[in-house]
Amino acid sequence: MARTDHDERQDRDTGPPATPSRRPGRGRVAAAIAVFGELLITAGIILALFVVYSLWWTNVLADREAKKQGDRVRKHWAQQGPGKLDTKDGIGFLHVPSMHNGEVLVKKGTSTETLNDGVAGYYTKPVKSAMPWDRKGNFSLAAHRDGHGAKFHDIDKVHEGDPVVFETRDTWYVYKVYATLPETSKYNVDVLDAVPKESGRKRPGRYITLSTCTPVYTSRHRYIVWGELERTEKVDADRTPPEELR
Amino acid sequence: MYGWIWRHLPGNAWVRALISLVLVLAIVFVLFQYVFPWAEPLLPFNDVTVDQGMAGPR
Repeated sequence: MARTDHDERQDRDTGPPATPSRRPGRGRVAAAIAVFGELLITAGIILALFVVYSLWWTNVLADREAKKQGDRVRKHWAQQGPGKLDTKDGIGFLHVPSMHNGEVLVKKGTSTETLNDGVAGYYTKPVKSAMPWDRKGNFSLAAHRDGHGAKFHDIDKVHEGDPVVFETRDTWYVYKVYATLPETSKYNVDVLDAVPKESGRKRPGRYITLSTCTPVYTSRHRYIVWGELERTEKVDADRTPPEELR
Repeated sequence: MYGWIWRHLPGNAWVRALISLVLVLAIVFVLFQYVFPWAEPLLPFNDVTVDQGMAGPR
């Protein structure tokens, strides 16, 4: 340590005279180019940091927030007997085994603010989503593909025949995927229709629509997955999941 | 630019290195806490919903 201090002092002793002698040698142009180069390096570092922020840090924040809100819903369910559904905290949890992402809290609305908390939102506009317990209609959801929890990141792993389960306080809604649309325009709001014709269905029924952006890391197009209700199961005292989730 | 900052920091090399580290961390914090959350919605990377175009809600 003492040795380092000594070296340091030496550096400082020899340092200052060296600096002025070096400086006049450099032209103004060279100095300007050096500053410009440093600015470019800085810009590169900031962009790299932005990627880290988008793909990692927002996930950390969103997962933390989603966990907190999810726990609140579960606590709420445990405390309360039969009663009105609380739509503010979230209406239930989505389980898609083929996406390997556990449970996703579902809340009302698809605003950036809502979805950034690492949840899925059901559409209120441009086409109002039906609720799973409605007799007919399309339960339409959106969630992030990357960043902010990236809850639908693996939507491309969902294939026809895969189960999609929605869990409310007292019912498991078991859907089966029957159609996917790997790429569509972001203005294609017809995919949210009560009877989504593009999926091939013509008659009213109980559908579910998952939507997110594609290709990964961009927002150029939308990826759609459609499912149809297969059956419902009452939630028992232990909340035993349906066989699809076991 | 960085050379200029380095020359104007007080103390010996160790102190300067420490101050530099603190400055870098402070800048990263400001970027993550304020700048990036502000910039993100302005960039077209994270719109996931279908809507009716510019007039529609996101």
